[in-house]
Amino acid sequence: MDMSKHFQPANPQAILANRPESFLPTQRRDFLRSLGGGLGVVACAAIESQLRAQSPNRRSVGDVDPLNPYAPRIPHFAPRAKSVIFLFMVGGPSQIDTYDYKPLLEKLDGKPVPASIRDALNATRHANVFHGCDDVVLKSPYTFKPYGQSGMWVSELMPHTAEHVDDLCFIHSMQADSNNHAPASYQLHTGDVRAGKASLGSWVTYGLGTESQELPGYVVLFDAGPLGGSANYTNGFLPPAFQPTRFATTNPPLQHLVAPEHLAPGQRQSLDLLHELNRMHRDQYAGATELDARIASYELAYRMQASAMQVGRIEDEPEHIHKLYGIDSPEARTQSFSRKCLLARRLVEQGVRFVQLYDMPDKDGWDAHAKLVENHTPRAKWTDIGVAGLLADLKQRGLLDTTLVVWASEFGRTPMKQGDLGRQHNAAGFTIWMAGGGVRKGLRIGSTDEIGLMASERPIQFRDLHATILAALGIDHERLSLEVSGRDERITGVAGSANPLLDILV
Amino acid sequence: MSPTLQTPRSLVLGLRLTLACLCLVSVSVLEKHLFAQQDQRSGSTPSIGTALEDPNNPIARLFGSERLDLWSLRQIQDTRIPESGIPDSTGQGQSHPIDRFLAEPLAGIQLMGSARVSKKHQLERLSLDLIGLRASYDEVIDFETDASSESFDHQIDRLLADPRFGEHWARLWLDVVRYSDSNGFDWDEFRKQAWNYRDFVVRALNSDLPYDAFVLWQLAGDELLDGPPESEAQLDRLIATGYLRLGPYDNAAKLFNEQDRARAEVLTDLTETTGAAFLGLTLSCCRCHPHKTDPLSQEDHYRFRAFFAAIQFADSTPVLLGNQPQDIQEHHRNAASIQESNEPIDGLKNEKHSVLTGFFATDDKDHIETIRVLDQGNHQKPLEPVEPGFPSVLFPNAPRIDPPSHGRTTGRRLALARWIISKDNPWTARVIVNRVWQNLFGQGLVASSNDLGITGSAPISQELLDHLSVYLVEHDWSLKALIKYIVESDAYSAPIGPWRKLRRLSAEQLRDVVLQTTGQLQHRNGGPPVWPVLSDDVLRSNPAVLDDNETKTKGWYPSPESQQTVRSLYLIQKRTVRIPWMESFDLPENTVSCARRDASIVPSQALALLNATWVAQAAGQLAGRIENSTDAYRAILGRDPSETELRICDAYLGQGRSIQELVLVLINSNELAFLP
Repeated sequence: MDMSKHFQPANPQAILANRPESFLPTQRRDFLRSLGGGLGVVACAAIESQLRAQSPNRRSVGDVDPLNPYAPRIPHFAPRAKSVIFLFMVGGPSQIDTYDYKPLLEKLDGKPVPASIRDALNATRHANVFHGCDDVVLKSPYTFKPYGQSGMWVSELMPHTAEHVDDLCFIHSMQADSNNHAPASYQLHTGDVRAGKASLGSWVTYGLGTESQELPGYVVLFDAGPLGGSANYTNGFLPPAFQPTRFATTNPPLQHLVAPEHLAPGQRQSLDLLHELNRMHRDQYAGATELDARIASYELAYRMQASAMQVGRIEDEPEHIHKLYGIDSPEARTQSFSRKCLLARRLVEQGVRFVQLYDMPDKDGWDAHAKLVENHTPRAKWTDIGVAGLLADLKQRGLLDTTLVVWASEFGRTPMKQGDLGRQHNAAGFTIWMAGGGVRKGLRIGSTDEIGLMASERPIQFRDLHATILAALGIDHERLSLEVSGRDERITGVAGSANPLLDILV
Repeated sequence: MSPTLQTPRSLVLGLRLTLACLCLVSVSVLEKHLFAQQDQRSGSTPSIGTALEDPNNPIARLFGSERLDLWSLRQIQDTRIPESGIPDSTGQGQSHPIDRFLAEPLAGIQLMGSARVSKKHQLERLSLDLIGLRASYDEVIDFETDASSESFDHQIDRLLADPRFGEHWARLWLDVVRYSDSNGFDWDEFRKQAWNYRDFVVRALNSDLPYDAFVLWQLAGDELLDGPPESEAQLDRLIATGYLRLGPYDNAAKLFNEQDRARAEVLTDLTETTGAAFLGLTLSCCRCHPHKTDPLSQEDHYRFRAFFAAIQFADSTPVLLGNQPQDIQEHHRNAASIQESNEPIDGLKNEKHSVLTGFFATDDKDHIETIRVLDQGNHQKPLEPVEPGFPSVLFPNAPRIDPPSHGRTTGRRLALARWIISKDNPWTARVIVNRVWQNLFGQGLVASSNDLGITGSAPISQELLDHLSVYLVEHDWSLKALIKYIVESDAYSAPIGPWRKLRRLSAEQLRDVVLQTTGQLQHRNGGPPVWPVLSDDVLRSNPAVLDDNETKTKGWYPSPESQQTVRSLYLIQKRTVRIPWMESFDLPENTVSCARRDASIVPSQALALLNATWVAQAAGQLAGRIENSTDAYRAILGRDPSETELRICDAYLGQGRSIQELVLVLINSNELAFLP
């Protein structure tokens, strides 16, 4: 593979030319500056009106027609990404054993945490990260080596993903507001440690609608869901049309997708009768558009049965694709995760806006409180090849430019030992990465202290991540809001303290 | 909003916040000076008029006086009923006061003076609104053939007396108080006794417990009891305190030394939910900073929170159960039947003194948390302490708080509850009247039923809202009297039009109606929730379910097949695993107060109603008992088919389709899905 091609800064003109709704790059840069510093609002308005002129029949972000809630809407500015695939590693994989290489751990193994690092953490809201740990540093049992043109150090846990480091953008300084799974996970999904708010996928489809009218816009894929359950991926206070649909990689892929066997053959006739009866009923109610909408929803449902079955047919993919994702693996859990990765690609290919894909093969996920190696080694093996296959496949199809891939968890793990060679949760500093969809390649931002315990340089919060993802989709996070009981709710919070990471976007 | 306003707005906001902070300091100094003469303990709350007209009103000083110009701050007015400009729908009698109030605001919309809907639709609407179920074919015929002038009145009385009234209206209230049978968060433990609260709500509504008592018991039922409850009514006061326990609770927080966060979240939730549910106040908007639009300071949020400062869960409160009424005994037997053999419940039936493991809350008088204003709402950044207090715009003085003579509680919640139901309170009656109206019309007189503030909607007719509020209070806070009064109006029976919209049935109504019309719905006299059978695949949406434990609170425990067709009210409602079929039809998030259900129309609903096995089975059950299209129409839609309908349905059957399939088509029809 010619890595230099990927490592060079992309030609903005070339990328823009590929976009259906292109505009002048100088205006875009102005707008970006406006997001950061409150300038250039005139340019912003100009861009918006330009976008609107290109799609006169479309509504704007968040302007939802209740009778046609999934219709695509015009973003605030030209999107880099059209779709998102959010790979959620449930339970907290360890950054210092995967992507945040800390050679000092080797030297400090078995010793207490250096006082300066401990004091620095104790002075913050993250002091409770020490709770439940031994004051003993545990070195990484894994070896690291540099990969690609960018020379990024990656552990032996992720050999396949490591081959793509020059396409990835690492954020090494993520922080969460809680050190417990559900609250931190709620925050990563919805912006709030309390349950009840709307998830990112709901926000995105609420904002932009979706490209395919015959498939749901927001899909979740999992064996077992995230800790904290359905409150993670809920539509919250957003209209229920924006709740996610759970797809399976089995047949049929959707619950209630097909009729019970003995009723299936007559379904078309039944729908025709239903249509006829509904039409007569409708004549009694002049102007009752809800009735028309419900009649239309049955026809759409009928078509969706075919589309969903079609998109779910992973078996139709050629053998080399199965191999690329690791679906040919003898290991059932690898197969399972890889199938979800492939399904995610098939979904975004058909215009699905947001795919939330969970790695949660069992009730623990990456939650290695004890025996880190027994937990992480198999989990990495089950997921690494699928993730790498997804990146490679998106890229070879030209979909990576318009698909933002995010790899993240609710937190990372401590460099301190817990119990029997395990690691405690760590919300003070951990690593996530993004790729494609307008994210700069081969980049790393932020860093943790010398043992990977706390974000020391440029700490980044989930709200910043949300604002960044929205920006990649062409949405100004400040203007994606809904008034709920007197408050303008946003995924980035009402305080207005989120900062999109504009420097990582092309 | 125009993007060009962005920069100025943030600038202004910054300035305003700075000013607000400065004002906050000066106001609290001023407040002390002004109100210091009054004894903190006995200081009587000034009447509304006094506070609003007082030039030193703390909110006016903080924000400027324009925020006082808000309709919901004004005392409820007993407005004169307008002269009748139009006759009632019969063309003879004096029109209903409600219709006269509405004549003016809805003048441009054809509403009054036009005919009511057909008797069939009138009864269907009433039945779905009062008991949540459809009127049967026979009930419609009875009503249609009853030519007496009181025929509709009789139907109203019949349905209000139906025990299923309480079940339907309980569901509406449970939305408001974010009812759930589980804790939420990681483990989402099953709350084995939460159903006691749900059944209390059903009982209260069916027995028409006055709304003021309904409020009082939920907020402070424990404070009203001198000792352990000795009667059903006393026990209900305790059970009602389950309201204080309903919010989500992060039971795992202590493992990560985050119990302070969990406690702060409980208090935040209680403050916000109580403000929204009983008062239509958006206290959530002033947790981090002064309210952006409404006359509420940040301090107001924490003053309100301080009423709950001593609150503790009290699930093992002793209960004296001398002469247990039959149904309570029945409940205890039910409780004993659900994997709780380790608890001494069997002994309850005959023993006088025993412990009922319940779902209660009370004060820990020895641990009254000092409530402080929190910087940006962050529990790790406490600022100055506050004392309990009502919204300062109307009630700037410290309220009188008398600990009850039994000495077990602080009296704080009792003071709060008594104030909420007092005549001085301009919100309480309006809020519940508006909810009742919303339940009957699909939209409240104030569209934003949890928000009577400045960003909330203006009432369609404040005069009518006040008239109904006065009516409610004068009728001893009887919700049944209020409902009857409203549904007697022509407005209630007005045809569908721009003002009277079609409403899609809720998830619960739709499931219940499918079971009802196919003859499957079984009665259940309260008791522990029924667990549907869900596939393992669905259950794994919270992996904690895989972690079944000894106390049987984490797993999923399907109920026997024979119980599966109960009303949806009785289905388990966990916070992290939702029943997919129900969820398709827009179940609200049950962690925060739901002001009003959404009713989306999306293809996944069509798939759920067309293809779900249980719906097909229900259709099959009915098909086994009937013979033809007419039977199917009567059972599902409560009417005979028209000639055309009969012809095309028979043609459909003639093409080899079955009665079961025809029933399924009717179940999917728009006629069934919408209130006429």
